[in-house]
Amino acid sequence: MTVTRRKFLALGAGSAAVAAGLSGCGSRSSLGASDELSMWCWTGSVNDDLIAQAEKGIAGTSKKLSMTRIGGDYKTKVLTSLAGKSLVPDIIGINDDVATYFPNADQFHDLNELGADKLKGDFLEWKWKLGITPDNKMMAFPMDTGPTALFYRRDIFEKAGLPTEPADVAAAAPDWESYIEVGKKAKQAVPGSAITDNITSVFLYALAQLPQRFMTPDGKYLADGDHIRKAWDLAVRVVKEGLSANAQDGSTDANAVVTNGRLVAFVGAVWWAQLGPKNAAPKTKGLWRVTPAPGGAGNRGGSFLAITKYCKDPEAAFAFISWLESSKNQAQSFLDPVLFPSTPASYTDSRLAAPDPFFGGQQIVDVFADSAKKYPGAYFSPYDTIIGDALKAELVNIEIGSKTSDQAWRDAQHQIDRELTRAGAI
Amino acid sequence: MAVTDTIRRTAAVATKDPAPDKPPNKFRQALPQYAAVSPFFILFAIFGAFPVFFSIYLSFHSWDGIGPMKWVGLEQYSYLLTDPQFWKAITNTLIIWVISTVPMLLLALVIANSLHNATRFRSFYRIAYFIPNITSVVAVTMVFGSIFSNNFGLLNAFLQSIGLDKIEWLSQPWGIKVAIASIVAWRWTGYNAIIFLAGLQAISSDIYEAAKVDGASPRQTFWRITVPLLRPVILFTAVTSTIGGLQIFTESQVLFGSSGAIGGPGDGGLTIVSYLYDNAFGSNQFGYGAAIGWALFILIVLFSIINWRLIGGNDDERLTKRAARRANARIAEQAARRQAGDAETEERKELTDAR
Repeated sequence: MTVTRRKFLALGAGSAAVAAGLSGCGSRSSLGASDELSMWCWTGSVNDDLIAQAEKGIAGTSKKLSMTRIGGDYKTKVLTSLAGKSLVPDIIGINDDVATYFPNADQFHDLNELGADKLKGDFLEWKWKLGITPDNKMMAFPMDTGPTALFYRRDIFEKAGLPTEPADVAAAAPDWESYIEVGKKAKQAVPGSAITDNITSVFLYALAQLPQRFMTPDGKYLADGDHIRKAWDLAVRVVKEGLSANAQDGSTDANAVVTNGRLVAFVGAVWWAQLGPKNAAPKTKGLWRVTPAPGGAGNRGGSFLAITKYCKDPEAAFAFISWLESSKNQAQSFLDPVLFPSTPASYTDSRLAAPDPFFGGQQIVDVFADSAKKYPGAYFSPYDTIIGDALKAELVNIEIGSKTSDQAWRDAQHQIDRELTRAGAI
Repeated sequence: MAVTDTIRRTAAVATKDPAPDKPPNKFRQALPQYAAVSPFFILFAIFGAFPVFFSIYLSFHSWDGIGPMKWVGLEQYSYLLTDPQFWKAITNTLIIWVISTVPMLLLALVIANSLHNATRFRSFYRIAYFIPNITSVVAVTMVFGSIFSNNFGLLNAFLQSIGLDKIEWLSQPWGIKVAIASIVAWRWTGYNAIIFLAGLQAISSDIYEAAKVDGASPRQTFWRITVPLLRPVILFTAVTSTIGGLQIFTESQVLFGSSGAIGGPGDGGLTIVSYLYDNAFGSNQFGYGAAIGWALFILIVLFSIINWRLIGGNDDERLTKRAARRANARIAEQAARRQAGDAETEERKELTDAR
């Protein structure tokens, strides 16, 4: 293209107009047109049909939804828009690190003021509590949950002479101790068998069953307590017994151990059914079963929705999120993209109760629903990510053999102490 | 005399136009040119210069990205210096840099030399060696991740097929470093070879012919002619490799980013930039991230100076100085000799006179 004087001037005028447009937007703090409610979520966090309905118009309001599925670095992008104080989405999705937003809860609407407390009875009590700040503000609204259970390969259990039916497996492995024994037997019969992909999974899923985590709501540090050390020692034991596949999270091995059948059993959250066997090992269709996890009910993962303080129309936004997370719509979200409902009423929905051919026609929902209802719930502090990351990193050091358990524990505590001091938490 | 001076001056003023009293406004004259080059500078100021200066300011604060910024003075820096993870990141980065750069540059030099002497398919080879460099680093890393994979990697399959034990590359701190270094070397060897090739082609063939005539062996030619004359090019590749090597990030991010610990098992692949990224964008410690960034800056400056000193830099100057010193010494020596000679002749004169 040759740049003529005329074109150059036109270009200049155009960019000036864009600049003016941008600065014009700066005066408006919420993202999207005035009749639109903007929403940010990551891919696979909502049912697309429901979103398409809301994009035509949110029932009972004059607004319609405009949703953006953010690719990578979701949290960084959300923080950037909140820090910029302009073009902030009206509604944002928040992952299970919801508590890290608590120190900045003033950036969000208190959903109780919008009438959320009337809906409390519809939801799992522990899930509801996770979105409430220590000073009793309801910052985040429940989406899905991540109840845990024991996944196992029926065919390999059969080969090893172990019980094969879900109820019998659950009876044979009511706690982690007996689960390790089951794993040993499987390994004797089929060499190489593992009951966890790596050391951190055991730690995290054992932790996910406890009523207490790393801190109390009033900020007392608990992660050096006996309950954490017990989960830690359990994870170390599974590795010492040779029952871990040593496939670290996020590595290509993590999928490979599922595909090639090394992983014969796994305590995992409901979403692992999709991420693990269904995606990584479609050929194992019909071979998996699910049963209550050793050690009891637990929950790992699950997300939330929040309404930012910049929202154009908080009432309409709340109408939308309470519609999206109603028990009927959550049941639909379980079918696609497999989000486990936080509303117990969904569990009896006929669409959920359908037998799952991947699990040999088992009604897996019952197992997870039971786990979700029995889970005691635990307090997540804003610093749980810092603490958890340090503990996980040191556990990996044990698995790869570069530290002893005691040394790793000391180093983890030291690191946590440093980081929490800097963060002003202790 | 004073009178004539005044007259002359007034006459000069009178003959001038009234306007040029003010000198012509040079800035206004050049305004269109300034306007034409301004877009770059405006964009640079906003997206280049401002973040740089803001990050200095930021490194004295504690900030989670949303809430208010809290002034903490030098606390971030003192935390940094006492942080074992930071020192680990530096050691890791340096180890990865050394085990990738040294073999890479040597190999590149050899490749460039053979490319230079190649007679057939020259363009094909050049393109083939350059292609890794324009391949997406993320894709390359994923492929290498599968090659080095612990349980089902290509490399382990190979090791086992020749009867060796498999190695858990991506679980051992040193294995991770080898994996990352080989990704870096694979991507940049061809690039450096092309740069060396350009340098080689700039060396006059006369010198080589002269060497041949003098009976120099190929090895002598390589070490005594090619390498010394390539010095500036080697310096360039060494400096760019240093800057690139100290900024290794994508490899660890792709290999371990989704594992929650960006450095991988035992933080074996934790580099300075991945440590920065993890603190700033993983833990939302933006002030600390800025402090790490400045520490990295200082480190790069330091290493560039070392490189400069080691490989080239004011080498020519040094040579000239040495030559000058030698010349001076020679001159002084000659002068001394001449003086001594003079003295001798004088002595002789005196002697003859005396006779």
